[in-house]
Amino acid sequence: MSIGHVLLGLLSERPKHGYELKKEHDQRLPGAKPLAYGQVYATLQRLERDGFTEVTGTAQEGGPERTVHAITEAGRTELDRWLAEIEAPAPYVASPLFARVVVATLAGGTAEEYLLRQRAAHLTRMRELTARKASGSPAQVLAADYALQHLDADLRWIETALERHTVLKGETDA
Amino acid sequence: MITVVRMLARGRSRRERARGRLMAAGAAFATVLLCAAAHLTALRLDARRGALGVLTEKEPRLMVALTLALLAVPAAAFIYQVSRLATATRERRLAALRLAGATPREVRLTGAAESGWSALAGGSLGAAAYLLAALVARWSLGDVVPVRPLLWTPVVLAAVVLGGALSGLRAGRHVVASPLGVVRRARPRGPRARDLALVALGVALLAAALTGKGRFFLGGKYGAVVAIAAGAVLLLFGLVLATALLIRMAARRAGRGTSAPETLLAARMVEADPRAWARALSVVGLTVFFGSAVGAQQALTVFQSDLTAFQVASYALLYLALLTAMVTSAGALVAHQAEALLDHRRSFTVLAASGVPVPALGRVLTRQALVAALPVCVVSAVAGAGVVVLLLAELYARRPGALAVSVAGAAAMAGIGVLAAVLVARAARPILRRWVRPEELRTG
Amino acid sequence: MLEARTLRKSFGRTTALDGASVEIGEGEVVAVTGPSGSGKSTLLHCLAGIIRPEAGEVLFAGRRLDTLDEDARTRLRRENFGVVFQFGELVPELTAEENVVLPLLFGGRGRRESLQAARSWLERLDVADCAGQRPAELSGGQLQRVAVARALAAEPRVIFADEPTGALDSLAGERVMGELVGAARESRATLVVVTHDNRVAAYADREIALRDGRVVAGATAATGGTAAGTPGEAAAGGVSR
Ligand SMILES: Nc1ncnc2c1ncn2[C@@H]1O[C@H](COP(=O)(O)OP(=O)(O)OP(=O)(O)O)[C@@H](O)[C@H]1O
Ligand SMILES: [Mg+2]
Repeated sequence: MSIGHVLLGLLSERPKHGYELKKEHDQRLPGAKPLAYGQVYATLQRLERDGFTEVTGTAQEGGPERTVHAITEAGRTELDRWLAEIEAPAPYVASPLFARVVVATLAGGTAEEYLLRQRAAHLTRMRELTARKASGSPAQVLAADYALQHLDADLRWIETALERHTVLKGETDA
Repeated sequence: MITVVRMLARGRSRRERARGRLMAAGAAFATVLLCAAAHLTALRLDARRGALGVLTEKEPRLMVALTLALLAVPAAAFIYQVSRLATATRERRLAALRLAGATPREVRLTGAAESGWSALAGGSLGAAAYLLAALVARWSLGDVVPVRPLLWTPVVLAAVVLGGALSGLRAGRHVVASPLGVVRRARPRGPRARDLALVALGVALLAAALTGKGRFFLGGKYGAVVAIAAGAVLLLFGLVLATALLIRMAARRAGRGTSAPETLLAARMVEADPRAWARALSVVGLTVFFGSAVGAQQALTVFQSDLTAFQVASYALLYLALLTAMVTSAGALVAHQAEALLDHRRSFTVLAASGVPVPALGRVLTRQALVAALPVCVVSAVAGAGVVVLLLAELYARRPGALAVSVAGAAAMAGIGVLAAVLVARAARPILRRWVRPEELRTG
Repeated sequence: MLEARTLRKSFGRTTALDGASVEIGEGEVVAVTGPSGSGKSTLLHCLAGIIRPEAGEVLFAGRRLDTLDEDARTRLRRENFGVVFQFGELVPELTAEENVVLPLLFGGRGRRESLQAARSWLERLDVADCAGQRPAELSGGQLQRVAVARALAAEPRVIFADEPTGALDSLAGERVMGELVGAARESRATLVVVTHDNRVAAYADREIALRDGRVVAGATAATGGTAAGTPGEAAAGGVSR
């Protein structure tokens, strides 16, 4: 996912300044990693360089003076193009979870203990998310759903791995 | 096809085999009855012999033969009921057969073959027993008992086997309809206007013939007799067909507004399948009908001081026949009860598991019987006594006490009918207790 | 509140429970998880007094439950337990509403009061539209929600639910779980949910993990819940197999 595209999306509502963008990003995408201000600033510079945004002036509401950015025609075209694209299904298994299990078996140790601990940690996190869902804003509920389903996928993989592990161990023991 | 039947026969449980034997017993009984009726009509004897006159005189003997033949009706109903019972347990197996790709025709034929086989076994037994009895009679009574009517025995046997096979064919009907139908039952079929039209037609014929005072606008005197007979028969059939409708209505009334859970459940269960109850109760209803009619007719003569031995014997014989009919229809009721238990076993088990005491479930059974049997017996009794009272209105007018006697007789017959149904339901309680064990709830 | 000690139960040659022990406190929400055939439903039915274990003890509020006779257990079930069965198990001859009303009537409540309670529960579970329909005319998901309504309507002290979301899509499942947990918390009732969906298990305070008829994790409140994350317990669970 590109932060640039998210910022373009936020700007498509109306021109905003950098601090506003950071605040809105964190609020509208709860559960995503919060943006650092430096990151916002750097991305805005890149967008302006590519002609997707332009500076339309400055604003001052009591605090320091802030530059206001607006989306350009080219920016809107780019945003539409990005929205029309689909996310490519992940071609590689790039989970540290998976790596740990493989490495554990390579090293001749048992992945089982690790898997059980990981399973408990995952479930605890799921419990927290489920509890939070009961009293969250719609965006927070959506974010929790997203996280829950991914954690669930991990969990199911862990359970299958545990089953297979038992079977594999049984085979070597026999 | 034959392989499939053989496969199914091998897979039959002990209970199913017991059911096959019951059906065979019914077939044997029917065969004996029909053979005896046929034989009686051919006796070469016509003499007055007091109480024995019912057998030795020609015309009373014909009545006895007719009664015996009529008794085959409850026996047939019993066979049908038992073959339905066999179907209830076979359903799953047959439905699986359907899912496995058997055509509806093949499934029907399988059912027909199974019940036809039982009928053949039972019928042969009955025929053999009858032949033996007839030969003994011939040997002791000589020429009075002709041998030729024995040739009819194979014909009777064939009819019984055919009947058995047909009942199996019909009983498999709803499995045939859809392999999934067993799991998901459709809404009960709505009442049919045709059923009521028959009743109306019968009543109209009777009324027309009776208001004509022995004369009819067609055929004069004979026309009236024919019209009365036809009207009675139509009324009878109409009543049987309308029984389902009547039961459904009574059940709906009983279920509405009740705050007793047993009654609610019983009423809804009857309402969901009034046809099953109608089938089981139609024979009871017929018995009550005839019983009330006989009672009403005898109400005119029973207080005469000059009752002859012949009359006493014929009355006793009539009541014996009624008793036999009642017992046979009670057999049909038992078979129906077993079928209903099989049908509702799962529901009852789940209810028991969620805290409904088994005695309460027992009450559900008796209330089902009450809800279904009460309207049927009352209507049958009123119709039976009513027909006779209307027919013999003039005689009744001359004998003031007779009406009260016939009403009492009809009430007693209705009471006996309801009592039979309720007793059968009560008798099922121990079975219920044994069957409805929460432990047996398959946890899936 | 509810306790099972070394339960054993077998069906013919298959052993469904093989020394399972659990302890569940009042007002607790627990999930029973495990692979198919691990004995979850059997454990649930033992705890609910529906079936009797061959060995071991079941205690409810300090009273032995497995030694009571059938009548006493039936009364106990009716007064204290609400059960949602794995396959719904409604009475096919009754409408959805009547299915919910029936246990209330058997519990000795009046007709009007029972009807009112039934309607409000059907509404809460979003199946009020089906009130007049018979089970054969309902979808699997609707059946399950009516079954949940039936179990909750009597306001039991313990709610047992066997895969209550098995036939539901995730949103409907969420709603049913929300109502189950909500109803339990509201009346401080205990809720025992059998599931093999982790997202359903996440509604619970604690997970009781079953494997081959034995409890491998979360047998008591101290070892379950967040504490299940401690390596020692998890490892112990793994080794004890
Ligand atoms: N009534 C019964 N008769 C025979 N065997 C049974 C019965 N009930 C359960 N079993 C067996 O006991 C074992 C455990 O069954 P149980 O239903 O408790 O499993 P479960 O964990 O609920 O599985 P699932 O997730 O598939 O529902 C299984 O092997 C099952 O075949
Ligand atoms: Mg189960």
